[in-house]
Amino acid sequence: MLVWQILIDGFAISALYALGATGFTLIFGVSGVLNLSHGAIMVASAVAAWAIAGSLHAGAYASALGGMAVGVVLAFATYFIAVRPIQRSRRIAEAEKEIFILTTTLLWGIILQEAVAYFFTSNAKTVLPIVEGVVRVLGVRTPSNEFFTALICWVAIGLLWLLVNKTRHGKEVLAASMNPRGVTLLGIELSRIHIAVWLVYGVLASLAGVLLGMFLGVSSYSVGPLTASAFSIVVLGGLGSVSGSLVAAYVVGYLETLTAYLISPAYRTIPALLLLVVVMYLRPQGLFGRR
Amino acid sequence: MLEVRGLTKRFGGLVAVKDLSFSIRGGEILGLIGPNGSGKSTAMRTVMGVERPTAGSILLEGHEIGGLPSHQVARRGVGLVFQHSRPLNRQTVLENIKVALLPDRLTMIFASAEVDAQARAIAERVGLGAVLQRKPPTLPFADLRRLELAKAIARHPKLVLVDEPFAGLTASEVAAFSELIAGFRAEGRAVLLVDHNVKGVSALVDRVVAMYLGEWIAEGSAADVMRDETVRRVYLGGALTRVARGSLDTSGRTPALQVDDVEVRYGKALAVQGVSLHVHEGEFVSLVGLNGAGKTTLFNAISGLVPHNGSVRWAGADLAGATPAAIARGGIVQCPETRELFGDMTVRENLELGGHGLDDAERAQRLEWLYDLFAILRDRERQIARTLSGGEQQMLAIARALMMKPKLLILDEPTLGLAPVILETLSKALDRLRSTTRLTVLLGEQNVTFALPHADRLYVMDHGKIVWEGLPERFEAEVADNYL
Amino acid sequence: MRSVLRVSPLPLATLVVLLLGVSLPFVSSGYVLGLLTVAFYTAVFAMSWDLLFGFAGEVNFGPTFLIGLGAYTAGILDARLAPHVAIWVCVLAGAVMAVVGGVLLALPALRVRGPYFGLVTLVAVLILQNVVVVFASLTGGEIGLSVPDVMSISASTNYWIAFGFMVVSGAVLFGLSRSPIGLVLEASGQDAVQAGALGFNVAKHKLFAFIVSAFFSGLAGALMVFYMGTASVSTFIDISVGVQIIIAAVLGGRRTVIGAAIGAVFLIGMGELLRPLGELATLLVSVMALFVVLFFPDGFLGMLQGRSRGG
Repeated sequence: MLVWQILIDGFAISALYALGATGFTLIFGVSGVLNLSHGAIMVASAVAAWAIAGSLHAGAYASALGGMAVGVVLAFATYFIAVRPIQRSRRIAEAEKEIFILTTTLLWGIILQEAVAYFFTSNAKTVLPIVEGVVRVLGVRTPSNEFFTALICWVAIGLLWLLVNKTRHGKEVLAASMNPRGVTLLGIELSRIHIAVWLVYGVLASLAGVLLGMFLGVSSYSVGPLTASAFSIVVLGGLGSVSGSLVAAYVVGYLETLTAYLISPAYRTIPALLLLVVVMYLRPQGLFGRR
Repeated sequence: MLEVRGLTKRFGGLVAVKDLSFSIRGGEILGLIGPNGSGKSTAMRTVMGVERPTAGSILLEGHEIGGLPSHQVARRGVGLVFQHSRPLNRQTVLENIKVALLPDRLTMIFASAEVDAQARAIAERVGLGAVLQRKPPTLPFADLRRLELAKAIARHPKLVLVDEPFAGLTASEVAAFSELIAGFRAEGRAVLLVDHNVKGVSALVDRVVAMYLGEWIAEGSAADVMRDETVRRVYLGGALTRVARGSLDTSGRTPALQVDDVEVRYGKALAVQGVSLHVHEGEFVSLVGLNGAGKTTLFNAISGLVPHNGSVRWAGADLAGATPAAIARGGIVQCPETRELFGDMTVRENLELGGHGLDDAERAQRLEWLYDLFAILRDRERQIARTLSGGEQQMLAIARALMMKPKLLILDEPTLGLAPVILETLSKALDRLRSTTRLTVLLGEQNVTFALPHADRLYVMDHGKIVWEGLPERFEAEVADNYL
Repeated sequence: MRSVLRVSPLPLATLVVLLLGVSLPFVSSGYVLGLLTVAFYTAVFAMSWDLLFGFAGEVNFGPTFLIGLGAYTAGILDARLAPHVAIWVCVLAGAVMAVVGGVLLALPALRVRGPYFGLVTLVAVLILQNVVVVFASLTGGEIGLSVPDVMSISASTNYWIAFGFMVVSGAVLFGLSRSPIGLVLEASGQDAVQAGALGFNVAKHKLFAFIVSAFFSGLAGALMVFYMGTASVSTFIDISVGVQIIIAAVLGGRRTVIGAAIGAVFLIGMGELLRPLGELATLLVSVMALFVVLFFPDGFLGMLQGRSRGG
């Protein structure tokens, strides 16, 4: 039945969005950065996985991990090239730094996007799926991959939650997002925390990218819409609120799925954008935002 | 001219100003005095329209201006000199003043010659005639303040509000500025000065209104207010008592902390000038001074949080170049005025973060010790830090700092905003710390009554400089009268 | 002390550039003229952006929203209503539509802080893209829109129209920036609280800046449609085109208005020079742009100004 199909598809896509958005929010919460190269990192990781599978004839697991490794490297590159130099610059006024970082991350995203298009063409690619086959659930034939995707996403989010709330290093990161000065006063170097956060972000974004590659496929054209969905979700949920992003991810994911099935796949991104506009006008801080 | 009745301003749960009433006549200078957190700046900003009052009324010449946006309040004849200079850095001094003279219209393509002439006249009056073509980044601090004055009086306001008129100025500059402000009074304007302490503005004001924790506490001539019981209690903490204490023999030892000739600038303003002090291991040194004297800035320099000239030596090594986190790990732990707690974490989580450098067994042990010292923290272990009362938060902040096994604990204004009952508890806790450990403490306080009993030695700081050093016993005799 | 006899180099340089610009069609090929025509329209895009950012302090990440509105309105009107309606009416309609868009964009800007506004502008572009695709029957969708009329077939005429438009727009925008309104705008952008305390209705002034920026962007976009004869999403409503405009303004020097024009010409020229490299061209230009933003944030004119004034 259509209803179950929408529910299942929507769940999987929302889970992917949730994973990506969580990473995006983490970076904003701790580093104060809105990383506009987010989509590019996701796509680059997926394309790397595809390329590794293709040229090195590696298995599904290996290429996925390889893709993630590339993603992590790119995340660090984003921090060291596009973010840190601006944060430490003495030539740019404090009030303008945020804007400059938005610009540099946007530029970096475009560079990555063009690089992928140049070296690997802009055709859509799918990453070798780890799980194959089709399952029949509630009368709907669904690729097992979808369940796998949703499962991995939620396991990752769960692990992240455990990391941040239950481990000591995780709590240091959480504390830094609440009060960076407090963390410094306790003798913890903020630079270490930033590196840790970008590492975690790299893992989350690259995982989301590789999974997306397995599930729907990516191309260099996906970069823009992916970044757009991520920050739409994060703004909708409230900048800096992880629970907000999770809820918003599902709202956006289901809106897109419903639109794709009931109206047309070409219009899938529109309702979410409209919702975003409404929220911006009525409640700019998002559903759960407080900052 | 200005009448404020029952002014109340609430920020969410925090009541910054509560039921404040006062009035100023034309040709009068009123001083609004209070320590940090007293609500004086908020009150002033509310009069200007930068903040909207939650309740109460503000009447300018009989007309209600409370709740109007600031540009309308300005156009009705109120000028505000901000505490921190905010010039347009890319424009010349003359252009900066011209902006203040422009009408609020979208159709001005060309400025009239009149505006130019007026701007020059105002510049002359405040003493900026020679630097009209220069840009703010090239001007000295005092001239930037003059520019702020010029902008505020450009349209001949009936009421002039000045936030901390003399902060950062040298003695001679203070005299010049006093003359300028007295000049406004002579012209029949009403002037409201907001400042930390009465002493600084006593020569200039006609009357003083004192505030504490958002409320009016006293009013009258400067001398009367300085003698008022409530005011003295709030500032000094009450009658000064002498405490018998074992003396510490520090002869022949090198100080653990040696601060030499430290100077800190915020932009152009000199916040700390040529300060030297030292603390021996095991000593309890109190640094007393009113808000704005520079204590926090000095502490931030020691902790590496702000750049400074001069040298800070700890355990024989120069701290220059060390990151603030490294300095904290090296044994100097600061518990700042703002406490910097992790608001959304529980009491226990905050404490455990403080103990991040310890192994599990030691951390647990230390936690127990602190729960013993501050019993209330044990009761509130699982409570979110943000929901604690002021006194509980302060104890948590100190306990968290102690979790780091500091060799030198710097406490900045721990009594700020706390009720007297809590001060007792804090005082007792500090006593126990002193008697049971070899902790070295550097305490910065405005409240002398709190700071005196525990101290082995005392420094007094005023306007960025150390003005007195000695034993606590001699404080009352030599300094106390001049303090307020 | 400066010598009284020393003439400021700027007006002289401007005059020389203007003379060179006007006489170019007599010596250059149609190819160069065409390139410069596009560059001049881009210059107006960049100058309008600079007015909004540099002076009102608002970062518009989607200038292509305003440009696209102007371009498509003009294009659709002409495509639907020609020959009953003159080109100039369409162009003006485009400008008006862009102003409406500018006001819509200004409303949240005046209420939200920090990064939110930048995000709103990005979203606006995405929405417009989607609207164009959805209403393909009207707009030509992803294929693009063809307009029956063009301003002129002669490369020289088109060049002069673009050049003239750029000079006039530049004069107006620059003049505004140097006028008392510009001073108030700058005060509002740098320190809204202080501007309010000095008696200025900051919201009103920022709205004004939005309207001016939108007007010129929309006008330039509409004119460009009648130069190119087509309108498409990738030329007018693209995020990377928007980024290029921002880069042009930053390259030339924020808050100088004229710098934005210089930056635009430079960027278009550089893109053309690198065209033989094919796909790699965009990549290289982006890398260069990143390099400039990181190491020369003050831009070309900004650096010159810094050196001559000596701080």
